[in-house]
Amino acid sequence: MHLTTLILSSSLILVIAILIYPLLTTLNPNPQDQKWAITHVKTSVKAAFLMSLLPLMIFLDQGTETIITNWHWMNTAPFDINISFKFDHYSIIFTPIALYVTWSILEFASWYMHSDPLMNRFFKYLLLFLVAMILLVSANNMFQLFIGWEGVGIMSFLLIGWWYGRADANTAALQAVLYNRVGDIGLIMAMAWLAMNLNSWEIQQIFFLSKNFDMTLPLIGLILAATGKSAQFGLHPWLPSAMEGPTPVSALLHSSTMVVAGIFLLIRLHPLMENNNIALTTCLCLGALTTLFTAACALTQNDIKKIVAFSTSSQLGLMMVTIGLNQPQLAFLHICTHAFFKAMLFLCSGSIIHSLNDEQDIRKMGGLQNLMPMTSTCLTIGSLALTGTPFLAGFFSKDAIIEALNTSHLNAWALILTLIATSFTAVYSFRVVYFVTMGTPRFLPLSPINENNPSVINPIKRLAWGSIIAGLIITSNFLPSKTPIMSMPLTLKLAALLVTIIGLLTALELTAMTNKQFKITPTIPLHHFSNMLGYFPAIIHRLTPKLNLSLGQSIATQLIDQTWFEATGPKGVSSLQVKMAKTVSDAQQGMIKTYLTIFLLTTTIAILLTMI
Amino acid sequence: MTPVHFSFCSAFILGLMGLTFHRTHLLSALLCLEGMMLSLFIALALWTLQFEMTGFSAAPMLLLAFSACEASAGLALLVATARTHGTDRLQNLNLLQC
Repeated sequence: MHLTTLILSSSLILVIAILIYPLLTTLNPNPQDQKWAITHVKTSVKAAFLMSLLPLMIFLDQGTETIITNWHWMNTAPFDINISFKFDHYSIIFTPIALYVTWSILEFASWYMHSDPLMNRFFKYLLLFLVAMILLVSANNMFQLFIGWEGVGIMSFLLIGWWYGRADANTAALQAVLYNRVGDIGLIMAMAWLAMNLNSWEIQQIFFLSKNFDMTLPLIGLILAATGKSAQFGLHPWLPSAMEGPTPVSALLHSSTMVVAGIFLLIRLHPLMENNNIALTTCLCLGALTTLFTAACALTQNDIKKIVAFSTSSQLGLMMVTIGLNQPQLAFLHICTHAFFKAMLFLCSGSIIHSLNDEQDIRKMGGLQNLMPMTSTCLTIGSLALTGTPFLAGFFSKDAIIEALNTSHLNAWALILTLIATSFTAVYSFRVVYFVTMGTPRFLPLSPINENNPSVINPIKRLAWGSIIAGLIITSNFLPSKTPIMSMPLTLKLAALLVTIIGLLTALELTAMTNKQFKITPTIPLHHFSNMLGYFPAIIHRLTPKLNLSLGQSIATQLIDQTWFEATGPKGVSSLQVKMAKTVSDAQQGMIKTYLTIFLLTTTIAILLTMI
Repeated sequence: MTPVHFSFCSAFILGLMGLTFHRTHLLSALLCLEGMMLSLFIALALWTLQFEMTGFSAAPMLLLAFSACEASAGLALLVATARTHGTDRLQNLNLLQC
């Protein structure tokens, strides 16, 4: 037996087993100790991360990928369903990154949630989410992927509504579930089509047989699923509302892992999409629209977590654009690098929020550069990585994407939107850094500012190292499967950097103008458009339910009660008859005997006449 | 005409005259109507036998069924009159007429 494959397979299965073990200890009827979250969950994630480095090193050295089929689970009539894990280069790279980020977030969460009596349950939910996510990325068949998909959706619901006493949190959790469900319809449609036409849910068989079919319908289903899960335009409002959950939840689910599940699905099934222009164009235009719209919405938000959430949404749009460009590996690269700096941005926000006594409005922060130096430094590093500063983590993926977009022969409108969104990225990142760290303090004097706890600083530092060097490490170790175009005009090559600098300069100019008032009354319709998120939630969340409920009411009351029962049914018949009877009986005088006597007389005369 | 023929013809005519010349009660008119129906029933049955048309045997039964319906309609009207006017005397029906 070849030793390499044995080590690879067994270490990957061991990773999943290490993650599941703490969940099994919760089935014990005896209550766990107070520190179960730290001793069991965080240690298991750390151990799983270290364990998953082994397959990563084997993959880097020898390029081995593996498919592990464990158990024949069930058998529907035409095909059977197995438990099957596919560890190709996507999942082998993503698993250690996800575990590293989760480890940092769990350590941070042990500080952030330490006053919560249900902290053990919180960690259990996070671990359950992580297991579902690992199942999703390592799935070799659509059924297992669907299990992971639904698992992350449900855990998202439970974690967003963690503080369920708050009505806004419940609404946000419900919003997340409903919008995800709309996307799930697409996924189920794609799975049904695959089961009916290709007779299998195994990915290898799907790739093999799909060359003979027109795959437009399942691809539209998959794009709909990605729209729901990855918050593309049209199904996007749940992501900013999901910031009602605690900050570790936002850092883990809604920045690094869950929201990339939709994009990951498209990356995994990309060979189906390579030749289908309708699907590719849809991805391109949808992604471009998403990235610009959400970046525009981020410009005027005042809640620090919402700004970071919109920034996540914008980067997801960028990933969708990359898939539309037929470059799944670049999208995957962006997923990996984005996980580091986005999680770090959320952890820094969490540290700031707790230090300012749960203040989330950036208009009430300021001057934290001297009071929380480590956090504000890492916030700046994260923002620089996000905007694509050369040679930080974000640069390698973002710049490569913009270059590919510039040199492709595709939609120029998508290109323009993406470039504008890139400049907006610089603007809102600068806005966050300016309002939070620069200037004079605008918060209360007795804020409990303290970042000296190692549980806070170590995770942020670890993720900062990741944001700096992860891009370099990943790109220098993995050859692209499609050759990038290396020669282009200088302006195109520097396009991303130029628009970012233009955005930054514009933002600097605007900040210098804030205390000089040029007009007596400000004209702020654009500000309203951006602040109210393009009026999308205000219209859709109110108009559609109102129309449906009024339709239901008019059917029940007017159609059934008033029309069928009263106008055409029993009451209608009776009213008609009464009217006719009244009209007829007006003519009669009531002299019955006279009438009958005349009748008898007439009959007698008629009979006598016939006899004559 | 044969005695049987004469008997049911006279029964019919007498019932008709009782219907037209009724004096006090509505109920007597209804009873005469029943008598007319009965005489028609006997007539139909006898004609079936007389002309030996076996296909016509169902006719008396049909007549009986419909006369039952009509009798019940008449009784409903009687009850309605009694309810609104208090009695079935015919003078009550146009008591308020000028």
